[in-house]
Amino acid sequence: MEKKQRGFKLLLVDDEDFFREATARQLTVRGFHVLTADCGEAAVLMTQNERPEVVVLDQEMPGMRGSETFIEIKKIDPLIEVIVLTGNTSVDNAIEMMQQGTFDYLMKPVNIDELLYKIEDAYTRKKLNERQNQDAAS
Amino acid sequence: MLKIIASFSKRLFRRNQETDNLPLEAGEIEKLRLTFKSRYHSFKLLLANNSRILEAMAEMEKALQGEEPFSMSLVQSNSTKVSVNVFRMIGDIENIAPGKYTALKDSFKEIQKRIDALLVQKKVIVDKRLVIPLAGVDSSMVDMAGGKMANLGDIKNRLEMNVPEGFVITAAAHELFMTSKGLQKEVDRLFQVAGSDEDRNLDLVSSQCRQLIMAAEVPEPICLAVTTAYSAIKEKNDGQEVRMAVRSSAYGEDAVNSSFAGQYRSELNVIFPRFFHYYKQVVASKYSVQAISYKMNRGFRDEDIAMCVGCLAMVDAVVGGVIYTGNPLDNRDNSIYINSTWGLPKAVVDGNDLCDLFVVARDEALTILRREVREKKYQVLCYEEEGCVRSETDAYKKNTPSLTDEQIQNLADHAVRIEQYYESPQDIEWAIDAVGKIYILQSRPLQQLELILPGEELNLQRYQSSLVAEGGINASPGVACGSVFKVNKKAEILQFPDGAVLIVEQALPTWAPLVSRAAAVVSEQGGFAGHLANVAREFGIPALFGVKGAMVKLQNGDIVTVAADLGQMYLGCISVLLEWTRPASKLMLGSPVYELLREVSREIIPLHLLDPESREFTPQNCKTFHDITRFIHEKSVYEMFNFGKDHSFSERSSKQLHYKVPMNWWILNLDDGFSHEIEGKYVKLEDITSIPMLAFWEGFAAIPWDGPPAIDGAGMTSILFRSTMNPALVTGMSTKYAERNYFMVSKNYCTLSSRLGYHFCTMEAMVSERSGENYLGFKFKGGAADYERCVGRVHLIRDILEQYGFRATVNIDNLDARLEGFNMEHMRRHVKILGYLTLHTRQLDMVMNNRGMVNYYMAKFTKDIDSLIKPQPL
Repeated sequence: MEKKQRGFKLLLVDDEDFFREATARQLTVRGFHVLTADCGEAAVLMTQNERPEVVVLDQEMPGMRGSETFIEIKKIDPLIEVIVLTGNTSVDNAIEMMQQGTFDYLMKPVNIDELLYKIEDAYTRKKLNERQNQDAAS
Repeated sequence: MLKIIASFSKRLFRRNQETDNLPLEAGEIEKLRLTFKSRYHSFKLLLANNSRILEAMAEMEKALQGEEPFSMSLVQSNSTKVSVNVFRMIGDIENIAPGKYTALKDSFKEIQKRIDALLVQKKVIVDKRLVIPLAGVDSSMVDMAGGKMANLGDIKNRLEMNVPEGFVITAAAHELFMTSKGLQKEVDRLFQVAGSDEDRNLDLVSSQCRQLIMAAEVPEPICLAVTTAYSAIKEKNDGQEVRMAVRSSAYGEDAVNSSFAGQYRSELNVIFPRFFHYYKQVVASKYSVQAISYKMNRGFRDEDIAMCVGCLAMVDAVVGGVIYTGNPLDNRDNSIYINSTWGLPKAVVDGNDLCDLFVVARDEALTILRREVREKKYQVLCYEEEGCVRSETDAYKKNTPSLTDEQIQNLADHAVRIEQYYESPQDIEWAIDAVGKIYILQSRPLQQLELILPGEELNLQRYQSSLVAEGGINASPGVACGSVFKVNKKAEILQFPDGAVLIVEQALPTWAPLVSRAAAVVSEQGGFAGHLANVAREFGIPALFGVKGAMVKLQNGDIVTVAADLGQMYLGCISVLLEWTRPASKLMLGSPVYELLREVSREIIPLHLLDPESREFTPQNCKTFHDITRFIHEKSVYEMFNFGKDHSFSERSSKQLHYKVPMNWWILNLDDGFSHEIEGKYVKLEDITSIPMLAFWEGFAAIPWDGPPAIDGAGMTSILFRSTMNPALVTGMSTKYAERNYFMVSKNYCTLSSRLGYHFCTMEAMVSERSGENYLGFKFKGGAADYERCVGRVHLIRDILEQYGFRATVNIDNLDARLEGFNMEHMRRHVKILGYLTLHTRQLDMVMNNRGMVNYYMAKFTKDIDSLIKPQPL
């Protein structure tokens, strides 16, 4: 198990308590600074206040759905990278979400290492985009 | 890929010298570094996505062999995995080369549209009738009434045989029931939450689904329609209440040799006030543990099966049973096999007890060939109030034949007529009431197996002392060996080890979920007409029934050999018997899920874009997802290589390897493959940090190559001949064949295209701490010698690579090998093997027609590689 500290904030959003808590624990052990939210509304608020770099977002949640939450989060931080989790294996949903600009799409049950790689890749992508944006602005 | 890298690298190198003289501004350099870094990140993501696609395709190909059971979730998850990752690869190449390959999106859409059409195809129920009286049912209504009731409709209405009054609650009713209060959605959700096929707790999900259905209300329109149909039957019975048999007649039950024998519930002797409770029980039995596992093992999707329910007036049977219009164990034997017992036929189909067997010839007189009257200890009878009871048979009837000769011949006559009508062997359930009237209760296709007899040389005399049982009933042919596991109660199902020999007292359908996991099934009771026997035959698992005392004589863990065809069981593993085993049946072939996978795979797996140099190698010609993947992979390598040239950026141009002396190897640093930025045209080995490249080099340089082996006369002639025909093969000529060797590297990645001697090879490796993303790919092609020798060398390399765990395939003289998912150290060792082979198989094709030389090199290479990859002492 990797122990290195990853100094960035990660927000995990899922309404299933057991999954959210277990995944948060596993990611914390792997050195992530993990914030959690149990619904879309809480995720938007958390993004506003805590400014995470990467969001791992469950698609099927009661209330504000994953796709709606994604749009709201992107309004707060257009460069934030979002990985969508789903128990639904429909291709249409996956492609639609990626067309909207999510970084990646993972099916439940999630392999924790695969999720970890995706989070790292999403973070790298975010940093590269930020630098390119700064360059373009200057 | 190699040709592209070679030709562009050549230009790149030329450009290198020009651009060295045109220094860029510091700001421009920084921008280019950032752009390149961003593209390299996309390239890395692209490679990981490519790898995931190949893994998913490998899983689909494995499933297509049809030997292992798989469910709809395998088809859906793998096709989604491929689609999503192909879509991501298109995004990645767009990041690497913005705007250049946008046409890929159109190809993707077209292919995806075809796959979607396959995956979402759903049966639309046109006939909306909820209940249909049996008098209005025939075999054209399988969709509405299910196979069982549709056949029974034919027998009643067209063959005009006695069938009890009844009606069918249709597929439309099932759909209404499952959708009216969101039941189906909830069932789907329960399965989704329960995880993959392997992880799922079947008992839990089965119980949740069944409880859900039992707690639901039957919609009013169904209740009304059923009540009307029942009233009509009651009226015919002079207004007296009628007891009903409520039986599953699921649509899809009779597809491609699948009997669904005993998988669903049937309730006998039901009084009308309790009717809807039992209707729900039959519907809920679609989610019994045995039905779920049967569906999964036989490749049925949940949505393929609509639970139609047959309702028949109860026959108060004096005697009942099952007729086979042929021998199920020998397709050459068309005699009629009548299994019969006292009371209801349930005792025969459930396999609880022994029953009589009468075999009738198909001659004009319907001669009775054989009578096997067995001790029928129990019979199943209707309770006066409701339901059935298994009671002890009256003493005088136990050993008395359950049928008279006249009844036997009469039944045989019915069976022949039904078979003639359906034009295929049939499995028929029947009953005779107190006045001697024959009723047909069910008819379905009979699966007959090919009899394989032991050769005359099979002499089992010396194993006589190990014989623990003989004279058993061959319920499903075959021989198998395994350790004994006795199952008494349902809870023990959970402990059953895969590959064990299942020993039970009664051959009950309850044990059906274990059949596909067992080496063989042995039961003290039961006959070959029971449900469990049917299931064993379908799965090709040997089953031996009627083995008295098996539960007592054998202990868990005993090793036994079951020879069902001989009716025998031996202690220990009898190898001479095992040699006589029939080939494993490919259960999944032809099942709905298998067919769907096959069709979906056609849109995913075939590769049409083979030659990157061809004019056909375009996004528009991508016909499958594999084509898109291949195209993108090729172009991404090209774009990464081209970056330095396109942007006059020498820092991202290739350097020549300096290893003692300048070597014919050129290296392009993609990111962190060098320890620092290298000025000038050379890079030293010690400045390279690429883990896979260094491992490759270690293997390449570890054991000196003492030149090509001495060429035999024919080998040399072959080369001279091919050189004459193809001047490009002559060493030293300035042709595209005389290119250099190119590496693209980063710390964890390297790709190589190499030409050593007359063969091409490409190697690609990802070796990092992310074991799940690690992979090695190796392609090898060509040679100077004739075709036969080139093929010989490719086979030699394949054999060696397979020996070290690679998955290798040879197509003509192309070798394609892959290894993935191991940790860094394991991958490093295997890259070394590729380095070693790249050098040491050089020009080996020349001696490949000499068996002795092949063996010599096989042994030498194995020895060298073993010494190369053995773990270093600390």
